[in-house]
Amino acid sequence: MTKTGAAGRRQEIVFTGFGGQGIILAGRILGKAAVLGDHRESTLVQAYGPEARGGACSAQVIIADQAIHYPYVRRPDILACMSQAGFDKFIGQMKQGGTLLIDKDLVQPKGFSGDYFSIPSSRMAEELGRVMMANIIMLGFFTAVTGTVSVDAARDAVMKSVPKGTEEMNANAFNKGCDYGVAVLKGREKKAKGKTGA
Amino acid sequence: MARDPHAQTSSHVAEKLHTKSLTPYILRLAPTIMTDFNIILFMCNWGPHAAFQALQDRSAEIPDEIKMVRIPCAGRISKALLLRCFEMGAHGVALVGCRAGSCRYGAGSSNAEDHVADARGILRLLGLGKERLRLATFLPDEPEQLLSFLRDFSREIASMGSGPVPPSAERQVPAEAPDRVREILAAHDVYACQDCGKCSSACPLTLAGKPFSPRAIANEVIAGHIHFPDVQRDIWACLTCGLCYDRCPSGVDFAAFIRDLRHYLTTRGDPACVAHGGFFQSLMRTMTCNNLRPRHWDWLPKDIETDPDSRVLFFGGCAPYFDVFFRTHLGVRTRDILVDGLRLLNFFDIHPALLMDERCCGHDLLWSGDRDNFLKLARLNVEAIRDRGIEQLITACPECYHTLATDYPREGIELGFKVTHLFDLIEKEVDKGAVSFKKLDRRLTFQDPCRMSRFENRPDLPRKLIGRLEPLSFTEMPDHGASAICCGNSAWVGCDAFSKALQVRRIRQAHGTGSDLLVTACPKCQIHLRCAMEDPFLGEELNIEIMDLTSVLAKTIEWE
Repeated sequence: MTKTGAAGRRQEIVFTGFGGQGIILAGRILGKAAVLGDHRESTLVQAYGPEARGGACSAQVIIADQAIHYPYVRRPDILACMSQAGFDKFIGQMKQGGTLLIDKDLVQPKGFSGDYFSIPSSRMAEELGRVMMANIIMLGFFTAVTGTVSVDAARDAVMKSVPKGTEEMNANAFNKGCDYGVAVLKGREKKAKGKTGA
Repeated sequence: MARDPHAQTSSHVAEKLHTKSLTPYILRLAPTIMTDFNIILFMCNWGPHAAFQALQDRSAEIPDEIKMVRIPCAGRISKALLLRCFEMGAHGVALVGCRAGSCRYGAGSSNAEDHVADARGILRLLGLGKERLRLATFLPDEPEQLLSFLRDFSREIASMGSGPVPPSAERQVPAEAPDRVREILAAHDVYACQDCGKCSSACPLTLAGKPFSPRAIANEVIAGHIHFPDVQRDIWACLTCGLCYDRCPSGVDFAAFIRDLRHYLTTRGDPACVAHGGFFQSLMRTMTCNNLRPRHWDWLPKDIETDPDSRVLFFGGCAPYFDVFFRTHLGVRTRDILVDGLRLLNFFDIHPALLMDERCCGHDLLWSGDRDNFLKLARLNVEAIRDRGIEQLITACPECYHTLATDYPREGIELGFKVTHLFDLIEKEVDKGAVSFKKLDRRLTFQDPCRMSRFENRPDLPRKLIGRLEPLSFTEMPDHGASAICCGNSAWVGCDAFSKALQVRRIRQAHGTGSDLLVTACPKCQIHLRCAMEDPFLGEELNIEIMDLTSVLAKTIEWE
């Protein structure tokens, strides 16, 4: 595995949401993408316990260019929230200037004054026919917006991690989220140039 | 008895005209008539002709290449007649009329001005050059001025050279193929017609009160009566809107049947009955010339971003020509659809290539019986598009879309690129998300384009996009989707009082929905429905604003 020295990048990420939304799976896929696809280092800490049975649950992922000695996330650079409880619990820990991603319909970023990215991932998953794919849509969105892992690596990891027979459906969901993320970035870029309409 | 020399000469000519020796006679004349430098001079019978006679009386030297056609009034020379001269290979055309204020009929001079101005606009777009058409007016006592005009014009045309359109040869009438009608009947399985009458109960022309029936035409043609004048009249009256096919329990594609019958009739030499004096057919036939370099996009606003090296092509369609032709009549601005289509592409960072010398797709030629020239145009188009290395063609016109995507391959022309309707592309991009539409303070209804909603069977596509808009309301007319009523015309064929009546009915349906904006998706729907609104008796009652869906999208789309 390539080591780029002490100056290498290191990012701490927290995925949070309800138990059953596939939050842990999203975290695991993200880590796999970084390690297997992008050949970097990664750790995952899963939040087990009563919260994983329907309450706020979380996956703590660290991605770095060098060996990770301590796997717990203390100050996430990126926080992806798919439930209000998850947002409320983790927003205080997020680094100053960190990137916040939320599900548009499930999370109200109350008390948060900074810029953030939102996607109606659960609604989009319902439109695709399975609400349980919201996590993969969020992962696609995460990949496009943050660039933490490469799109190909993330898509490959999705395909290798989902149950047999659902690959195509999940690839679709991932692309949906990714396209949405690209569109959001493009929209922001256009707006910054003062072009809002056609 | 001495024979009168004149009588001898005329009987000599008459003999030639009435025997087989006519063909070599014409062929001998042909090089001088057809290939020489040719200027057509339309000369009003009144003021200028008196001046012309004064020139003839004193044997003034009028340039030989000027072929004079004496006409009753310059105002009666339509745009179609002016263009037809160029289609047939004239190098220059001069319309000479009476000085303003001296027209015997009142409006002749100003009509002539309008016609020439519009025809010059068309010539410019076509790349023939507007300078080849001139209007001049003279009083009876101005022979000197007339002579110097004729000499100057002749010199100017000579300096421009012969132009890209070769003189048209005499049309060969092919030998009668006795089984051709049977082949057409069999190809469309017209024999399957059960005479049930579902077609006539749906046909918008029949419902407008016209004594017209699709199944009656089918029966007459099966009975071998295709040459009856009333059968031929009906063949040319059909709107080819395809509603009867939608209803036919035997699945007889009546519109395609009519298309092939028209082709059969025109190849036999029977005249085509087309609207606007055949102007548009003439225009498209002119475009079949290989050397012609139209200037299709000269007028495009500068802020539109295009990329000549792009693998994606935006195919505009004939809207720029429509706007020039209907300038004084309807004030339509169908080329706004093209601009708005390009703006939508630019919105999504797509910078398409344009064919600067784009030609017509040929839809109207195919549907008005001229398949040969349609095929010529189709080949020229496909060749030009392929040469540019285009992988995907995008168009906002339902006729271009249907013709390119479906009719070209059906007629055996291989494309080698993908044809996409603009709505499909926009729907896909908008569906990615992060795009929304501004509130639109209007109540909408929608006129289906027949080529998309019926021929391509995709009435849902425009509705998906309308569903994304944020208007006050969207209400369908009673007849919509695959059951929609025609805008009243197709391929510039079959315009009459009954098609007007059905347009009025359609516009009243639109008003009945309580809407104040009629959304269309084809430039021709817009032109035809606007035309109906010009009705002097019903005008105000019918008036409703019309806008193409492309423009509605472009005006309201925004990044979230």
